[in-house]
Amino acid sequence: MIGADIIKIYKTVHTWTGITCGFALFIAFYAGALTMFKEPIARWASPPAVGVAAVPLDDAPRLLELVAAAHPEAREEGITLHLLGHENEPARVTWEEDAPHQEGQAHEHVHWWATLEPDGTLLAQREEPSELGEFINEIHMRVGIPQPWGSYFMGVVSLLYGVALIAGVIVLLPSLVKDFLALRVGKNLKRMWLDAHNVVGITALPFHLAIALTSIALSFSGELWSLQETVIFGGRQAILDDRDNEPFRAPAPIGEAAAIMAPSQLLEKLKVQVPDFEPRYMVFKNIGDKAASVRVPGAERGYVGDTHLGGVMLSAVTGELLKDSTRPSRQDPARRASETFYGLHTGQYAGAAITWSYFFLGFSGAWLFYSGNLLWIETRRKKARNGGEVEQSRSTRFLGSATVGVCLGCVAGLSLTIVAAKWLSGRVADLDHWHALVYYAVFLGAVAWAFAWGAARSAVHLLWLCAAATMAIPLTTLLAALFPALGMWAHGSAATLGVDMVAFISALCFAWMAVATTRRIETGPANSIWSVRKPGKALSTPASIPVPVE
Amino acid sequence: MANEIRSDWWGKASAGAILGFGLALSLVGLYAYLGPGGIDAPGGRYSLMRYLEALVWIAVFSFCFLFRSGRAAWVWLGAANLIAFVALFACRFHFFA
Repeated sequence: MIGADIIKIYKTVHTWTGITCGFALFIAFYAGALTMFKEPIARWASPPAVGVAAVPLDDAPRLLELVAAAHPEAREEGITLHLLGHENEPARVTWEEDAPHQEGQAHEHVHWWATLEPDGTLLAQREEPSELGEFINEIHMRVGIPQPWGSYFMGVVSLLYGVALIAGVIVLLPSLVKDFLALRVGKNLKRMWLDAHNVVGITALPFHLAIALTSIALSFSGELWSLQETVIFGGRQAILDDRDNEPFRAPAPIGEAAAIMAPSQLLEKLKVQVPDFEPRYMVFKNIGDKAASVRVPGAERGYVGDTHLGGVMLSAVTGELLKDSTRPSRQDPARRASETFYGLHTGQYAGAAITWSYFFLGFSGAWLFYSGNLLWIETRRKKARNGGEVEQSRSTRFLGSATVGVCLGCVAGLSLTIVAAKWLSGRVADLDHWHALVYYAVFLGAVAWAFAWGAARSAVHLLWLCAAATMAIPLTTLLAALFPALGMWAHGSAATLGVDMVAFISALCFAWMAVATTRRIETGPANSIWSVRKPGKALSTPASIPVPVE
Repeated sequence: MANEIRSDWWGKASAGAILGFGLALSLVGLYAYLGPGGIDAPGGRYSLMRYLEALVWIAVFSFCFLFRSGRAAWVWLGAANLIAFVALFACRFHFFA
């Protein structure tokens, strides 16, 4: 039996860890839910290009050899041959080169693609691909705070989030049997919201524990790595690191000339030697040399974390299997465990069902932090009312405005920055920079608006903004299809139309929330922060909590 | 009221955060030396260690509020850290002399 004093302590722990992390976690979970569809979003945002189909796979050897001859750096560092034909693959082959930089300094990469002209000559061009998917992931990982502080911040937030989870379970344990799945819908709205908060939290607990654990490890990844090196291995980890990297290292060129095998033949050789492997793309190194190799990242079904770091390396000349210890079924137990943790974070297993589950679990997580904040506000409100106060205290008003501004600002900002991918493409020099500008402008604007107008009014305004911004995603595609003169594009693949479809449904949800919130602020208890009416008269109405805004 | 648990928020939380991390690093370090396969285990061990450190860290931080006082948390967790680090450095000396 857990003593009442322990429950009381953990209630405080849960409240304060939850309140301090709630905002950052909302952003991380909402953006994280979107990253489940990072690839379809990237495809949606990619302008029309030459495409993979322009060069049949049978003509690929010629293309690869021409690129290798004209771009020695690419030959050495790796030329990627695309196989899927998705919109975010600009051409049959692409590669990265180092941007000009000082020796030994951190630097950026520039991106190239290449195709064959009708007369068989090489057409290679430098073009930066859409980084929208990466930007959303950036917001997910570091809530928009620059490196390295963003990682430190989210590492601490993840730690407190883990503590909040365990504290929440301890608080709930004694009454778990009685309260679990008891959603008491009725007059006591606060009770109902607390029940809902508990049900969502407990049922998704394994997901949340996995996310908290992995987020700490991933946020503090570099720091933990170097601390392990100094404290645990006493600076001798280099030898071990070297062994760790061995399965990924391509053989060094030996200086004898040899032609590469056709990619279609290589894929057949791969299929014979490694059945059940789904190649995603191929990376060729040292083309023209007898020791040329090709690394094929891909998925092996039936493993958690089936694509991350998994891959097979073949000789590009003979098709003979060189290295395959990084694919899931060959990983050593420790790497398998590590990849399983990573896969549990990214929802990389069992295909589309898990991708969608993670998408909704991400939203449910965002809702959990949102409802947690509301419960805190409501508890404060009741305490204040019992003390005879009529006005809301400054802290509840502050938290109310911040909750509305941060949460809805993040939602609207992400939607608008997605829309900007089509409207600004080709019109601005640095589109990635503009993705950030649009997001931060909307986000900070929303926060300022929420403080200026108060939680109740601004929630309605900002929910309509979210609805409009999200509806602009499918509308932009529709406009692009109807008016080609606008210079935008409308892809017809299922994945990109899916992005438009989900955005359409989400926009309707936001509009419904806006309508519900309008009703609430006009008719709900006046002494709530969720009311626009003057407090004083409505004190006899039963205590309640706002209608769902999320 | 000698048996009552004191809240001691800062004392306990700092013990959980700091000593919890120390314990995470030292215990996982011991696993690296003494776990299956030992220090020559295949390279996957080194990426797994970060997740295990996070696990220990969360666990210690979460349950450190069960200590009777902030002082007790520091004393007990400090002692555990001391033992774990001594063992870790002994391993380091033994395997990488």
